[in-house]
Amino acid sequence: MLVPCLVVFALFIVWHGTRSVSLSLHGSDLFGRPDAFVGLQHYRDMLGSGEFRHILWVTFALVLLTVIPGVLGGLVIVLLLEQHIKGIRILRTAFALPFAFSVASASVIFATIYNPAIGLANGLLGRFGVDRIGWLTDPSWALISVAITTVWMSIGYNVLVLSAGIGAIPAELNEAATLDGAGGWRASWFITIPLLGPQMFFLVVISTIQSLQGFGQIKILTPEGGPEQSTKTLVYSIYHTAFANNASDFGAASAQAIVLFVILLLCTAVQFGVLERRVHYK
Amino acid sequence: MRSVRQRRTAVGASLLAVLALVAAGCGGSDNDSGSSKGNQDVPGADALDKATGVTKITFWHGMKGANGAAIDKLVKAFNAAHTGKIEVTAVYQGDYDETITKYKTSVQQGSTPSVVQIYDIGSRFMIDSKQTVPVQKFADKDSYSLDAIEPNIANYYSIDGALNSMPFNTSMPLLYINKEAFVKAGLDPNKPPTNLDEIMADAKKLTIKQGGKTVQYGFNAAIYGWFLEQLIAQSGTTYCDNENGRKDLASKVNFADEQGVKVATWYQQMVKQGLMPNTGKKTDDAQAVFKSGTSAMHLESTGSLKGYLDAAKGKFTVLTAPFPHLTASDSGGGPIIGGASLWIDGPGHSDAEKRASWEFVKFASSPEQQAAWHTGTGYFPINSKALDQPDDKAWVAQYPQFTTAITQLHNTKPTNASSGCILGVMPQARKASEDGIEKAVLGTDPAQAMKAAADSIKPQIDQYNKTVKK
Amino acid sequence: MRRLTVGRFITYVVLILAAIAVIFPVYYVIAGSVMSPGQISSYPPDLFPHGIFTGNYKGASSSGTPIGRQYLNSILQTSVITLSQLVTSVLAAYAFVFMRMWGRIVLFGLFLATLMVPWESIVLPNYLTITGWSIGGERLTASYAGTMIALVLPFLANAFGVFLLRQSFLQFPTELRDAATIDGCGHGRFLRQILLPLNKPALMAVGLYVFLAAWNQFFWPLLIGDSASRRTLQIGISQLNDAEAADPGLILAGVTLSILPTLAIVILGQRFIVRGLTAGAIR
Repeated sequence: MLVPCLVVFALFIVWHGTRSVSLSLHGSDLFGRPDAFVGLQHYRDMLGSGEFRHILWVTFALVLLTVIPGVLGGLVIVLLLEQHIKGIRILRTAFALPFAFSVASASVIFATIYNPAIGLANGLLGRFGVDRIGWLTDPSWALISVAITTVWMSIGYNVLVLSAGIGAIPAELNEAATLDGAGGWRASWFITIPLLGPQMFFLVVISTIQSLQGFGQIKILTPEGGPEQSTKTLVYSIYHTAFANNASDFGAASAQAIVLFVILLLCTAVQFGVLERRVHYK
Repeated sequence: MRSVRQRRTAVGASLLAVLALVAAGCGGSDNDSGSSKGNQDVPGADALDKATGVTKITFWHGMKGANGAAIDKLVKAFNAAHTGKIEVTAVYQGDYDETITKYKTSVQQGSTPSVVQIYDIGSRFMIDSKQTVPVQKFADKDSYSLDAIEPNIANYYSIDGALNSMPFNTSMPLLYINKEAFVKAGLDPNKPPTNLDEIMADAKKLTIKQGGKTVQYGFNAAIYGWFLEQLIAQSGTTYCDNENGRKDLASKVNFADEQGVKVATWYQQMVKQGLMPNTGKKTDDAQAVFKSGTSAMHLESTGSLKGYLDAAKGKFTVLTAPFPHLTASDSGGGPIIGGASLWIDGPGHSDAEKRASWEFVKFASSPEQQAAWHTGTGYFPINSKALDQPDDKAWVAQYPQFTTAITQLHNTKPTNASSGCILGVMPQARKASEDGIEKAVLGTDPAQAMKAAADSIKPQIDQYNKTVKK
Repeated sequence: MRRLTVGRFITYVVLILAAIAVIFPVYYVIAGSVMSPGQISSYPPDLFPHGIFTGNYKGASSSGTPIGRQYLNSILQTSVITLSQLVTSVLAAYAFVFMRMWGRIVLFGLFLATLMVPWESIVLPNYLTITGWSIGGERLTASYAGTMIALVLPFLANAFGVFLLRQSFLQFPTELRDAATIDGCGHGRFLRQILLPLNKPALMAVGLYVFLAAWNQFFWPLLIGDSASRRTLQIGISQLNDAEAADPGLILAGVTLSILPTLAIVILGQRFIVRGLTAGAIR
């Protein structure tokens, strides 16, 4: 039978999903195991704390800072590449390179570049006479630095997906437009972009989900959640509450995990409800 | 084509199977704590002798760089001396915070190491976790004398007069100085600043700007909670209540009081006036600043000394000075001992393993090994006889920087203040204090910042005390 | 011959600047890996290496972090997860499309629902459960094999692949399916000989996505695996970053070693990847 093997794993998720809720209703002992029943205490603590609102804000901000530049950047690059210029293959390969880097390797490289003492980022600024920026130590910059790294990592994938999408657009459409006198940019705006709708929607959804779940780069670039917790997203907070620094508050962390679930649900619902209607399918 | 009914039963059967599997798996997870065999008792010496084959033990530590190399040397020496009987595998787990996290995880997974190096502030937690066999028990059973251990150090790691873990790498914070920078600025490197105000004054002379950019900072230090603890200790006040957690479980931290606020204010002013770069909480980043010659004065542990000497070779001369006092009027107890100690795990380990671990721990604290450790890292020896070793003496004669910490240690009177705070959630408290200082550095009013930090840790203290008192 | 118009010129400039920005980290990791410790720790930092210093590579290979071993661990983990998800997704998608079942709608809804559950929301119970399991008296995570199993277990199936493949399978005309059935073609043969070959792009899209996701995993492998030789490459690199923080050149050498294979794949197989992404994922 074909379906049962999948039923096994769905149960993995469903069972653990309910367990997550149950954990969030209990306290935790020194080692994280559920302790006494505390009801909605964790939720009350969480929702009442300014820190939690801050975490939500950081999470939301990171999504915006990564999805918008990532998808738009990819779009601009792909459109420019479409202008039939020489050397397109080299350029396209160049833009695809970040695809080869894992989250850990990209983050480590950027960490070295952002290093407050000997990093190249500040070194380059110095050459231009600009004073140092605390890329990872200034709360105003830390999230941006993480976003830059994340966007860099995703550019490769975005360019590849959009390139594939453009490749699927029949050339006749563009030719017809040129014949009608609407060449170059106008063709892009009225034809290519709308037809790339499905791919862009796909990228927006995927990027949002990935951004909400982003963890590796935050842990490597800003261990401890960044200066003044400015890079503490919800997922990082779950990890931090449950595993970092001698803490083992699985109860509170589970409460946060449930909130994450709700947020993701809302986000996807919004995206499918609002954005998908605007997408043109062939 | 199979019939619908057959399909239904197949689905139903597999659902049941899954439920059974999951229930079985989940059922067993909550009760035991990895205590399959062994416990916190001390086996006799014959346990090791009776063991056949090689007793393998694992040693988790948090030492990297030059210090990691020194550990490897130590382990190699031990294995060579015990070939065929005991074999130690050392595993680097990350820094101290990560090591204790991994250790906790291992308790949950039932796969604890035989010996683990845990930092000073993890001591209370280790005791409460009931996973280790106190070193005192081994010593008593074997009639092994622990007198050779430096009294101040033994004091710190003893609770209720019993030594729970074997001190291994003991450090004190020092003031590091770039000799050439001092000379260039017209300051005497042999008369270093002795308190925070003097540091600020000297830093003003040592900061060099060229065309709006700072080429050399007068001073730098990481936003490291350990320094705050030290400065509070230097002022003779306690970090937490209930006599620094020694009379009874501590219930709150005091770093929002006058001393803590002074430290936060000082950090804030140093950065604001451009005398110090803000490199955040990561000690590695602050170390890189000093090592590259970008700062003239620096706070760090004596355990970084060797690494600094190596990095500065050919570039500048590294001098060490006693850790500063909070204010000029502080006579203070003296800085707290830092570093880490070795804990021997009980539950889940055989008697032979426990004895082998004890052998390793004894070896690591012997005069010869402590002398080698001292000269290889900068941590000072826990064994007072180590200083008499000829190698150690020769090294120290050549590099007097290695004695500063020892002198400082001997000058410290053991009081509650200089013994440091014993708190179950000390690691979190340290992080909270760092958050407070960082907030101040980034512009918040220091008193407010420290108060918010102290308040933030209170629920965790309460939670811990509640859990442990059961 | 297209003339160099202003528009074209601007296009070139923007693209080249963007390309430099994107390639810069790639350049830096290689350049930094051959800089001597003195050079890379200097301030202000240098852009170009003063010559080739091989000590970093020697150091990276002999450091406490066994990158080679971790590479293998990662490959093993990623392959198992990818294969498993492909197999389970194919089977489930097939069932949903071509087989009549009781409660099909409900089950599919359930699958979609699991897609909505972010993995991080159930990581804690997963952790408690898996670390609590024992096989033959010994904890699962106490052995190498057990650690590997623990690494892949929660990810052996995922509704994402089911969803995508179902979309793809739905394109298959039912008349052909009926015709095949009449000819006596059972499920297995139909699947293997007809359906799968026709859906290669979708399969590749799913496979690629799952492969990447598994390769990049960080949270779960961070929790599982207590010794360097059992960790995955991602965790190993981040540990190298910590352990050798005093030696950035060495760290960069380690990173360079770790990305060489994937870099080669991207450079050489770029067109292939694009083709794989074209169909199936976005209809």
